[in-house]
Amino acid sequence: MKSFAIARPGSHAAAAKLAADKTYTLPVIKSGGIDIIDQMKEGLLEPDLLVHLGSIGEGAATISMEGGRLRIGAGVTLAQIASSPIVIEHCPVLAQTAASAATPAVRNMATIAGNLLQRPRCWYFRQHQFDCLKKGGGTCYAVEGENKYHAIFGGGPCHIVHPSNLAPALVVAGGVAHLVGGKRTSIPIADLFHTPDKGVRTEHVLEPGEVLTHLTCDAAPASGFCGIKEKQSFDWPLAFACVGLRVTDGTIQSAGVCAGAVAPVPWSLPRVAEALAGVKVGDDAAIRAAAVLSGQDARPMRDNGYKVRLLGVAVHRAALKALGREAEGLS
Amino acid sequence: MPDSTVLLPTNNRPANTGSSMNDDASRLDGIAKVTGAAKYGRDVYVPNSLFVAFVRCPWGVGELVSSNRDAAMKVPGVLDVELTKKEGQYHGATVGHMIAESPAALSRGMSELACRWKRREAKTRLAEEIGEEPPIGEAAAAALAKGSKRLEADYSTEVQTHSSLETHGVSIDFKSDSAVVYASTQGTFSVRDGLDERLKLKRSQYEVVCEYVGGGFGSKLGGAGKEGITAAMIAAKYNRPVYLFCNRAEEHLDTGNRPGSRTRVRIGFNDDGTIVGGEIRTWGSVGPNKSGGGCNVPSGRYNLGDTKKAHEDVALNAGMPRAFRAPGHPQGSFAEEMMLDEVAFACGLDPLALRLKLIRSDAIKEMASLGARQIGWDNRRPTGSQKGVVRRGMGMGITSWGRFPAAVEAEVVINQDGSIEARTGTQDIGTGQRTMVGIVTSSTLGVSLDAVTVRIGRSTLPEGPGSGGSVTAVNSAPAFIAAAEDAKRKMLEALTQRMNAEPGELDIADGVIRRGERNAVQWKDACAMLGNAITGKGVNNRATVDADKTTGNSGGAQFVDLEVDTETGVIAVRRIVAVQACGRVVSRKLAESQIIGGVIQGLSYALFEDRLLDRVTGAMVNPNLEWYKIAGPCDMPRIEPILWTKDGTGARPLGEPPTIPTSGAIACALFNALGTPVRSLPLTPDKVLTALGSGERA
Ligand SMILES: Cc1cc2nc3c(=O)[nH]c(=O)nc-3n(C[C@H](O)[C@H](O)[C@H](O)COP(=O)(O)OP(=O)(O)OC[C@H]3O[C@@H](n4cnc5c(N)ncnc54)[C@H](O)[C@@H]3O)c2cc1C
Ligand code: SF4
Repeated sequence: MKSFAIARPGSHAAAAKLAADKTYTLPVIKSGGIDIIDQMKEGLLEPDLLVHLGSIGEGAATISMEGGRLRIGAGVTLAQIASSPIVIEHCPVLAQTAASAATPAVRNMATIAGNLLQRPRCWYFRQHQFDCLKKGGGTCYAVEGENKYHAIFGGGPCHIVHPSNLAPALVVAGGVAHLVGGKRTSIPIADLFHTPDKGVRTEHVLEPGEVLTHLTCDAAPASGFCGIKEKQSFDWPLAFACVGLRVTDGTIQSAGVCAGAVAPVPWSLPRVAEALAGVKVGDDAAIRAAAVLSGQDARPMRDNGYKVRLLGVAVHRAALKALGREAEGLS
Repeated sequence: MPDSTVLLPTNNRPANTGSSMNDDASRLDGIAKVTGAAKYGRDVYVPNSLFVAFVRCPWGVGELVSSNRDAAMKVPGVLDVELTKKEGQYHGATVGHMIAESPAALSRGMSELACRWKRREAKTRLAEEIGEEPPIGEAAAAALAKGSKRLEADYSTEVQTHSSLETHGVSIDFKSDSAVVYASTQGTFSVRDGLDERLKLKRSQYEVVCEYVGGGFGSKLGGAGKEGITAAMIAAKYNRPVYLFCNRAEEHLDTGNRPGSRTRVRIGFNDDGTIVGGEIRTWGSVGPNKSGGGCNVPSGRYNLGDTKKAHEDVALNAGMPRAFRAPGHPQGSFAEEMMLDEVAFACGLDPLALRLKLIRSDAIKEMASLGARQIGWDNRRPTGSQKGVVRRGMGMGITSWGRFPAAVEAEVVINQDGSIEARTGTQDIGTGQRTMVGIVTSSTLGVSLDAVTVRIGRSTLPEGPGSGGSVTAVNSAPAFIAAAEDAKRKMLEALTQRMNAEPGELDIADGVIRRGERNAVQWKDACAMLGNAITGKGVNNRATVDADKTTGNSGGAQFVDLEVDTETGVIAVRRIVAVQACGRVVSRKLAESQIIGGVIQGLSYALFEDRLLDRVTGAMVNPNLEWYKIAGPCDMPRIEPILWTKDGTGARPLGEPPTIPTSGAIACALFNALGTPVRSLPLTPDKVLTALGSGERA
């Protein structure tokens, strides 16, 4: 680890300025620090300035409802989101994804902005000796190597899965990231990330010096999340689904479906959403049939074909959860 | 499938009440450990220490083509870089080391050293390296043919790395003519024995201290290890303290593991489940030195007729095996228990009934029957009979372990100020040796546990064994009983004289000197009457062990009740009942904790743990605790240890046996639930789905 300075700006605008300060070789924003510190320890990132956001007020750590939309400060922790009565009532899918991420200790430190902008967990990326495409090298080691946990959609030339639990939930809820320090002042979460074919070295479209101040999203009271994990403590999901529904008169009017841990970006499943529209809430067979469509365009790698099936199950169960039900046979 | 009704094991303890010398004692060092007051070797930073790190091969096979020693040496604080090899035969293999004034200087030095490696082809998969399988032997073929049915099945297990929470290493406080070696070890004395020439000191000039150990399980046995030897040589050379501990990745890569295994079963059996015979051939996945891959099946616990055994170690380019809690056993037990369940299924027999027929030990049969009642075996549904999404399964396995002799010297000192010391140099590797010594001493003397100060984990104390093979408690307890009895006898003799009592009139009870029926003198006052401190001595050795008929081997039986979600392949283990022979229990809590820990380790092995080597580069892709998965709190079933104390008044080995049968019992329970065996550990969702035939394109 190289020596570095720490700055504690009092506002997002000041943070943005520091993050673009050319007198430093690599100024980097640090929020909860969970991911940044990990990267520094592995030697993947060597900043000479850490811009610590912890001293910023500006509602950075608060959750509120404003004009029918949920507002979440960039510095709100996953633990806060998981236990917030406002989020649980108005956007259960977000509370559930936050509650299921990582571990209690991590959730107490990890912030929503950091969660969205964290780097992928691909085991080749995270170990220094692999000079893979994402680090500027010539190969993606996952293609021929160990790819049990890699992408089944949207991969190539890099096959990471997007690490954020919260991003797909925000996509379903029409989430928007609000920014300072750059040309734009906001960007929909659905546009925040790009697939590897649009640039393999990065995962999101923010420029250095653009700072996320807060997020907003629609109320999505009929929404739910289902993640499937190997281990129930301290593990990443193998596949997960976020589903938001608009229901009137016992019929699903429209749906938003977004999958996680299966693609390099939050993976929207419009065909599943279409198939869910018009389905009666009690018609489990139709919901299941819609869920199975999630696997249609999958292109699994050698060792991750099982994810296709898991995703279908996750979508089915998340949809039922959005309807306030559990899948039959689950106790 | 979260279960809100999981009970703590302590809620099921009435069955064990009154079973031990001290039911309610907590670990003497429990609070120190959870508050951080306990200083492990890794916590000891001696001022002015040098820091050392190994230079390691990053690939399965790597040739060091270049490095920039000059640049590394220019980094402020870097003192030396020594590269002794040009090639590494596994990821993590050491080829040299660097010495620096600080960890920061080390890491900067390492990046400046800029080792460039040429990667060569590596052997990473046991199945691929086994080569052509030898045909079944003639005698085995004949036995196989005699059965009316036959089972041909392959079972496999993956490598379980040691990944001790306190990584391997030492911190040495070196002064030119003396040293204190703070070691994380299972053998305080074996570290001492390994270091004199390295430290260039006489044994009288240094002490090995090991008050606490953060996990060992076999990997911290056998001398000072690579880390200790290197650190000692550097300390002597620079005449300075040295700190050398592995980081998390190094811990996975190069401090030992339970080897992977493949077991090929070809056995013939009759319709009633009697096993006629055949062949069991095993392979162990080991490191480049090609040793240590034993897979203990047949275990000898069952009557398997005329079954021949053959074994071969298969070299991979990967970190090497090292003793691991019951070496060779869990992997063998998994294959053996699954094999029996498959035989039972083929015969339409209840697997418990089949086992009761084949188990050799009557005591284990009794334990199996007890465990079956406790888990509710009657509610077990026939294998493959369920159709729902979530299916329930029950399975079982058995265990046994030998009692091995070890030499122990124990001292119990009674001082004139009333304080009492129990002294032996052996270490407490987390089993509770410190507390065990205190309980045995205090109850033999007739004083309370808190009256005794236990001094262990120092090479300057009386000599004791390394903690391996479940020898520590069984061999220390008799030595401390003898030492405490000796001290008590000497004290009472002295007091008899001073108090003009009749021989045999005085005794000690509840910390008071009794004269006949009445309390005569308080402990402190009695000690003040002593002319000098009293030292009681006790020994335990092969001769005393051979003469002792109150104890012997220990057996056990475990039962598992689980649920599997057939849509996701995720397993939730609900309950594990572990009946374990203990002989005389010293401390109920410690004994239960030992069993619970064994079960947890076995569960983690069964469901999750897998050292994953990249098939292209030979590097381990998961040398961390993120992707090398170890069971956590939410994966825990309710664990119900049952202490079986019917078998004698001596202590029995308890360290290893409780981890042996867990993985097999879990796999059998899964088979019961699914109706299809999953013959490969760990039992991950992808394998479960594949077994169910629903893993799309998998
Ligand atoms: C063991 C473990 C398990 C985990 N499991 C899960 C899981 O299951 N699901 C899941 O979703 N996550 C999981 N995580 C990841 C964890 O949630 C993220 O690392 C964490 O949310 C990052 O948040 P942070 O505040 O610590 O970010 P930091 O580490 O501080 O920052 C992360 C990135 O975001 C940038 N950044 C932060 N704030 C801003 C801002 N306001 N504006 C612009 N840029 C910003 C930083 O520059 C950096 O690039 C796990 C982590 C661990 C260690
Ligand atoms: S998946 Fe991406 S991050 Fe992983 S090895 Fe391939 S290129 Fe690198």
